[in-house]
Amino acid sequence: MRNLVSFMIAIISVLSLTATAAPLEYKLQAEQVAEDTWVLVGKLEDFSNKNGGNIVNTGFIVTDEGVVVIDTGPSLKYGRAMRKVIATVTDKPIRYVFNTHHHPDHFLGNQAFSDLPILSLPKTKVQLAQHGDAFAENMYRMIGDWMRSTEVKLPTETVEPGVLALGGHELQLMAYSGHTGSDLVIFDKKTGVLFSSDIVFYQRALTTPHTPGLKVWLEEIREMKAFNFKLMVPGHGPVVKGMEALEQMEGYLAWLDETLSAAAESGMSMTEVIRIPIKEEYRTVALSQREFERTVAHIYARYEEAVF
Amino acid sequence: MKRTIAALFLSAAVPTLALAAEPDPLESPLWDYMRQQFIGQDPYRFDDRIKVNLPEFAEDPTQVPVTVDAEALKGNIQRIVAWADLNPIQHIFTYYPHPQIIPRVSLRIKVQQGTAIRAAVLTKEGVWHVGGSYLDAAGGGCTTPSAAAGNPYWESHLGEMKSKFFPREQGGRYKFKVIHPMDTGLVDAIPEFYIEQVVVRSDQGDDLARLKLSQPVSENPVITFDVRDNTQKHSVWLRDNGGNEFEQAL
Repeated sequence: MRNLVSFMIAIISVLSLTATAAPLEYKLQAEQVAEDTWVLVGKLEDFSNKNGGNIVNTGFIVTDEGVVVIDTGPSLKYGRAMRKVIATVTDKPIRYVFNTHHHPDHFLGNQAFSDLPILSLPKTKVQLAQHGDAFAENMYRMIGDWMRSTEVKLPTETVEPGVLALGGHELQLMAYSGHTGSDLVIFDKKTGVLFSSDIVFYQRALTTPHTPGLKVWLEEIREMKAFNFKLMVPGHGPVVKGMEALEQMEGYLAWLDETLSAAAESGMSMTEVIRIPIKEEYRTVALSQREFERTVAHIYARYEEAVF
Repeated sequence: MKRTIAALFLSAAVPTLALAAEPDPLESPLWDYMRQQFIGQDPYRFDDRIKVNLPEFAEDPTQVPVTVDAEALKGNIQRIVAWADLNPIQHIFTYYPHPQIIPRVSLRIKVQQGTAIRAAVLTKEGVWHVGGSYLDAAGGGCTTPSAAAGNPYWESHLGEMKSKFFPREQGGRYKFKVIHPMDTGLVDAIPEFYIEQVVVRSDQGDDLARLKLSQPVSENPVITFDVRDNTQKHSVWLRDNGGNEFEQAL
């Protein structure tokens, strides 16, 4: 039997060697979604060792005077890969890099752009300085070696809402708040593309760790519906032409808010609330059950407080 | 093959044990030690009717919701002891439910890492029935300073309670919240300061529920429990380890 054991051990070691020997590579692909506009679509998953945190949509706009980058991904390695992809599309220099908000999958690639102006809303910069290191630590725990050498690189400048004109594009910068308290939404007036950042999740459940409140978020979704865009790039999920992503957000946020209110009013405890089944039409949305459970942890105490 | 090895090991081990112990269904490394701490040499059995309801993951390790439900053994309970195997302070609460109260309690706790969370119910026959669930966590909840440590709000509101009664089809539910830092003593320069005792009394003067709490109970505790008779009036009395007492009609 001892022989058998050593044989098994040998097989296991060979298997784990081949597993760890494969180089970690994001294999990013830029998809042209409109004139001058490319998107790198992430997976509809949670952070994992397997996906390296590539669960986010990043993008870039190639103007006559250079490139505008929107979000830098979850790690230094992603940021570098993204920069390579941009170089395959255009030889124009990168002019600006935006961080739409302070969540780790949107800014931890900043180091790969450290020679360039990195811009965010003022509050986002404050939030990054406060929570960035903790986010990075947590990412090391969740995706491991993909994070190698990644450190927090803060935005170099802050921007106020307004219009940024560059190389024939006018980018309208708007400050929203529903997802994290400071969410930059970018509308390209030339192409009609709306980069909604994580104000919109589509076919992937929304996350709530820093939301100022579901009602605030819902209000902003309704505002966005009045916007005359031709194409929407959500922070997570497929690019869409119509209202389907906003309608899913509106319906899901409203359901969440009503469900948590009703639960608090009937005195339910948190462990009971997390067992409430997701409304049927949202069950096929990726990670809806898990994110619902997280949302209860994030905000149910506020609903309880309102009932006391 | 793994089974063969385990069988060999067992057959070697059994003769030296007076009683073959039931294996821990949660396979926690500290089960035997915890059992000695909380159950001692008393007879026990694992019993999945004793529910410990938890989320899968501790999203906020300073506020993990836990519900312990021993209704399956109603009327036959001496006390319920709840603990977290891998917390630096394991004991969460000991609960002495009166037959008039449903032996089910919900509160929130701090956890330091992923751990088995147990509830052991001692019946009147002297047998412990042990239930439990595993909680996954990134950790750090016990050695994170309370929010109160950075904010003097609690000093002028210590012991303030809010409560609400929710009538149910049968009986009713009380939920109350009390302002208290619940400091564990594990954070540098912040001494332990926590509510040790909670007593729920009926207007007939019965102690319906007595809870002894320990440091892992979360800051500003929110506690939920269910009564069988919703015609009675109730009040709650608390005392912390600093000797402060608080009382309020529910």
